[in-house]
Amino acid sequence: MKTFLMEHKRWFQTLFVLIGMFLLIQYLKIDLTILLTDLHYVVELLNEMFPPNFEAIWDNNKVLNSILETISMAYLGTLFGGLIAFLFSIIASNNIFNFILIGRLAKLILSFIRVLPSLVVILIFVVAVGPGPFAGVLTIIFATIGTLGKLFTESLENLDPTSAQSLQSTGAHKLQTFKYAVWPEFLPAFISNLLYCFDINMRAAVALGIFGGGGIGYKLYLAMRVLHYKDAVALIICIIILLLIIENLSNYLRHKILGN
Amino acid sequence: MIKAVHLTKQLPNGKLLLNDISFEVSKGEFLGILGPSGAGKTLTLKSLIGLLDLTNGEVWIEESNNEHINIFNTKAKVLKKLRTKIALIFQGYHLVQRATALDNVLMGRLGSISTFRSLIFGFNEVEKKAAMSSLEKVNMQHLAQAKVASLSGGEKQRVAIARALFQEPNLLLADEPISSLDPKNAKIIMGILKELSTLFPVIGVFHQPELCAKYCSRIIAIKDGKKVYDGPPVLEESLLEFIYGEELAIVIPEKYAN
Repeated sequence: MKTFLMEHKRWFQTLFVLIGMFLLIQYLKIDLTILLTDLHYVVELLNEMFPPNFEAIWDNNKVLNSILETISMAYLGTLFGGLIAFLFSIIASNNIFNFILIGRLAKLILSFIRVLPSLVVILIFVVAVGPGPFAGVLTIIFATIGTLGKLFTESLENLDPTSAQSLQSTGAHKLQTFKYAVWPEFLPAFISNLLYCFDINMRAAVALGIFGGGGIGYKLYLAMRVLHYKDAVALIICIIILLLIIENLSNYLRHKILGN
Repeated sequence: MIKAVHLTKQLPNGKLLLNDISFEVSKGEFLGILGPSGAGKTLTLKSLIGLLDLTNGEVWIEESNNEHINIFNTKAKVLKKLRTKIALIFQGYHLVQRATALDNVLMGRLGSISTFRSLIFGFNEVEKKAAMSSLEKVNMQHLAQAKVASLSGGEKQRVAIARALFQEPNLLLADEPISSLDPKNAKIIMGILKELSTLFPVIGVFHQPELCAKYCSRIIAIKDGKKVYDGPPVLEESLLEFIYGEELAIVIPEKYAN
């Protein structure tokens, strides 16, 4: 019996996965037949969506303002989040901050920040400061501290320690070695990670708008709510173009900085 | 002047890494420390600046006013001040790669200027000029504004020496400064070190007995933590065989080719 199982191991593994899949679909009460019977709703929805109503965007200054609002949210969130993350990473890096226990604590706080989903965080901030861009910025700052804190700590800990050590052996103060040996080597990682995070935060700023963070995401949410699907599609296309521009810009700048 | 007395380092298991090493080096001397891998050459050098916790022994360094200080028995503040006058160069250069050659030279004096000034203002014109002239002494002035990352190994080591010079040291310690250089650059660096030994004692750890014979003024050989030779730089072949044993074919490859 045992050899029979071993010989057909692959078949049993596949069978196991398929049974698991079937049971989970049953558990979630997913009715796959809906995909077939209600397909015409999707077609109707698409019919209502096209052609997109771009006039809604150009006619209405509020939409352009909301795009600016989203960019500002991402920018401010990245800037302040990055600065706080930088302070955190200095404390968390074992090679820079000597108190290992405090460093561990900082790392623990950073991972705690990272495991909290932004969509949960914004719900808290919306209750705290009310819906709008301020809640969005606070949420982005929070998420940025988690992400950049980890990335900064890793790049600080991976720096070649010898240049700082050789300065210290000539009697230089710890702060001096930070400014002269650590900072120049860390700068490219600092800027490139900031740009990368700005790119991520743009997406987050759009998504958070839907949950009460303001900006173009909120406009999209409103359009969907009042069933103006043609406006909504125009907004979605607008968002895609905006995000593509930001992503390419940030990639271009990052390569330019890392290239040097 | 620097004087090492009874340098001894013993591991908890009883193994002696340094076994009662004593020597004295004064101005005008270029001392080469030779020996097989793991003999304790670098440990000896490290103990000279107090980077190694000795089991026993003293290192006396002359301060400016003819006063001698035992670096293992002094306050941290005095030791820090003493270190600002001890220059170090390494096999791996240990420079800041993304800073310019000139900036790297300037860093040599960070220990001597006030922390506040160096953090807020940086170096002044007088210091920049002095750093330039240090670069001139090692013939690197034309690459002052080049990033260190873009320099060759020989050029990097010359920047490191310029930094050491700018430090205005009373002592220069070099840990295998030519081990990663090609023969031509190794000779250039050895020539510079020899010249500098007229200004202050130079102590270097080397793996090249032939180059040491040409440039050093004195050799100390260490084997298994013990000083086995202290004298003129030209070592007889039988002595080299005794010091290096099987490693001899690696340190003098020309002679043992085929």
